[in-house]
Amino acid sequence: MKHVTGIFLFASFSLFAQRSEELVPQQAVTVFSLNNINILQQISLDDLVQYEFMEELQQELFDGSTSGKTIKESGIDFDQKLNVFNGKGEQYTVNGFTFGIANKDQLFETFDDFLPVESPYPGTELYVSYFNRIAIKGNTGILFRIAPTMRLVDQITDSIWYARGNGYPWYNEDFEGIFEEVEVPSESIEPDMETEENTASPVEEYLPVAGADPDNKTYYELRDSVDFALQEEFILEFSKDLLVDGKNLMMRSPEFTEQLKHNSEAILFSDNSRRIETDDEFWYFRSLYPTFFYDVKELYEDNLILGDLSIQNGKVGFSIDMKYSEKLGSIYQELTRSKFDSHIIKYIPKEASAFFTYNVNMLQAYKKTYEVLTPILEKSNDPNVAGDLMVLELFDILMDEETIFGTYKGSMFGTYTDVKKVKTKKIVFDYDEDTFEYTEQEVEAEEDMPIFTLGFSTERTDIVERLLKRISKLNSNLHVENDYWVIDHAILDAAPIYLIPRKGIFLISNDGEFAQNNSNGYSSSLIDKNALKQAKKSGAFYAKIDLDDAIAKIPKEIFTERENNVVDVVRGKNGIVEITSTKTTNSGTTFNLNYNYDADLNDSGKYILDLINSIYVISK
Amino acid sequence: MTMKTKFTFLVLSLLFGLSSCIEIIDDLTLNTDGSGTFKYNINLSASKVKVNSILALDSLDGKKVPSLDEIKHRIDKISQELRSQQGITQVVVDANYSDFILKLSFDFTSLEALQNGVKAVIKLESGDRPLNQIDYDWVSFENNKLSRSIPQLTIKQSKKLDDADRDLLKTGSYTAITRFGKEIKSFTNEEAMLSKNKKAVLLRTDPYSLMQNPNLLDNTIELLP
Repeated sequence: MKHVTGIFLFASFSLFAQRSEELVPQQAVTVFSLNNINILQQISLDDLVQYEFMEELQQELFDGSTSGKTIKESGIDFDQKLNVFNGKGEQYTVNGFTFGIANKDQLFETFDDFLPVESPYPGTELYVSYFNRIAIKGNTGILFRIAPTMRLVDQITDSIWYARGNGYPWYNEDFEGIFEEVEVPSESIEPDMETEENTASPVEEYLPVAGADPDNKTYYELRDSVDFALQEEFILEFSKDLLVDGKNLMMRSPEFTEQLKHNSEAILFSDNSRRIETDDEFWYFRSLYPTFFYDVKELYEDNLILGDLSIQNGKVGFSIDMKYSEKLGSIYQELTRSKFDSHIIKYIPKEASAFFTYNVNMLQAYKKTYEVLTPILEKSNDPNVAGDLMVLELFDILMDEETIFGTYKGSMFGTYTDVKKVKTKKIVFDYDEDTFEYTEQEVEAEEDMPIFTLGFSTERTDIVERLLKRISKLNSNLHVENDYWVIDHAILDAAPIYLIPRKGIFLISNDGEFAQNNSNGYSSSLIDKNALKQAKKSGAFYAKIDLDDAIAKIPKEIFTERENNVVDVVRGKNGIVEITSTKTTNSGTTFNLNYNYDADLNDSGKYILDLINSIYVISK
Repeated sequence: MTMKTKFTFLVLSLLFGLSSCIEIIDDLTLNTDGSGTFKYNINLSASKVKVNSILALDSLDGKKVPSLDEIKHRIDKISQELRSQQGITQVVVDANYSDFILKLSFDFTSLEALQNGVKAVIKLESGDRPLNQIDYDWVSFENNKLSRSIPQLTIKQSKKLDDADRDLLKTGSYTAITRFGKEIKSFTNEEAMLSKNKKAVLLRTDPYSLMQNPNLLDNTIELLP
């Protein structure tokens, strides 16, 4: 009987014990869930907090409490998933992670800034620090931070500010004199240019001091109060949702629950439909066409990105499922209903360190978009939308679709061959031997430049040629050379670019040798048949990158900081990266990225974090 | 990052982080009355692709890259600082932002005024950071002999660069020219060359060697009486 009770209790515990993923809040829009966190045990916490996806927690962890410790010593339960999440709603953003707890004492040695507070939520312990909160339920915890959106804070602050009879806050009388004291920048600086001298520092230095009367707050004090009050309100709302009502992302999204069942190293869940609603990138669009934005919202319903990351026997695989609503899917389906353009084959040499092909059918996509979008727009009462719809319909009636989409079909390819010397000009100083006086001379020079070629499928190179002829009359940098066009100083004001119209394709390259000798295609040494077969078999997109040749040689300077954060994950690795896509259906497309990972397997924990960070940077 | 630090980062990135040539000429003319002219030329035209590509970025290696306007503003500040120095006149800044050639020249009434002017610029750029170099005299004239060296500030800072960048420094050049109204009797640096008119001495090295040995361009030049 004792055994039976024991087994029953064990089973009950196993079945009903809280798991870390159950604390992922419903407000989360993007989640990375690490299934096998054992491999992270040796990672130092100091290294962990360097990652961008941990940025919200850096203030907590960069205070010496983590110095010299590994994740193993942080009290985290390595038998549970570690789920990093972020979410942005219309009113607030929430960031954090959920985790299993093996040793609470160790946990709070790491998070030593957190103090326990009385919890109003049954069965939940609460700890607070200046920025963040930790809630613990059983053997699971969530560390989170809530911040009201700036727009909401500004809106409410302005409302109170003006209701109190104040004037425009940025020209408050408290600021009088500030601008007189700020050093006037020299005339070479544009008046609207923001520099340290003419904006931030001086204004900050002269900020009004707190008044004795708390009811008579300055704009900034009022704004801080509003921010604080909203934060408190949203923390209560968020905590009640998650800790009392148990509203988590698993309840909200069956796709997330399903994704959690995968036994890959890590999974990605991103609800694109909610991102579009709140993302800052769409703010202008939402503000300009508020009703239109909500009208077309149905297009983006169920738009999810679901990813699986696996590392096995030195091979990295990342699979991404893009899920669409039926309407959006039908547009993408038409967009990708395109045959592989065989014109491009002869332009991809065997020596190419990287190449991609992209096959789409813009004409079909346009027709489908028009068909899907028009009925949606017709329902809108927004006068701006009505005006735009009228223009769209007129455009549709009057335009010659065949010519437009025959000129720009949408399909393209790109190659990266190597870093080559390109011809530029430089100034040198010539010295007179009698006096060592020197004069400037312009001479030919060479500089390293990554060599790229892009090709666009077209049926109407005659139109492109006609345009180039006209433009050359307007811009002396554009001229004909042999049977192609050259734009001098086109790249970084130094190197030329070559525009090459050919039958069925319009080529753009910065490779002078290609323009001169191979612009009708390479006669031999083309890409291997396997790669070609894969490219043809793949859906809309195919890419192949030789890590040794491509990534190592491309100068860092050609990428932005954000792009470099992504590229860094494959720097120093070798092997071939292959990205393939499936045929698009009206419900989704799958992209697969695979490559070999030859680095020390003991580093796989760090490598997974590198990958996750890259994915985080991309998905932000 | 402060504006000053940003500028210093950019200058260092441009001066020492470029794969192809950077050409620096420091050109000192000393008249018999102790006054003279100082010219400082930085020529990055051989690397304009790279300079343009760096300027096109918001940040590089985690540090913000200043815009061209910010650089222009900073250069204006430097020339203003020089103009405000006692004994410094005729400050001319000729900046060619297409080829990235910067030419600075000014007249000075004495070597002391020249040093004070240069130190003021170094101070302006370093902000509140303490600088040992500020008390160091890198040019002096005594007993018909001129002794000169190179201020070591940038040399020390360039040591912070990584190995790859350091290797690239070997392709540039640093030329120090010293001119006089009189003929030169002798000079101590064996690498130096005397002009045919015997009134100028030229010393040239590459930034990498200079970084390894900051005294490489030290020279004491004795004039004929």
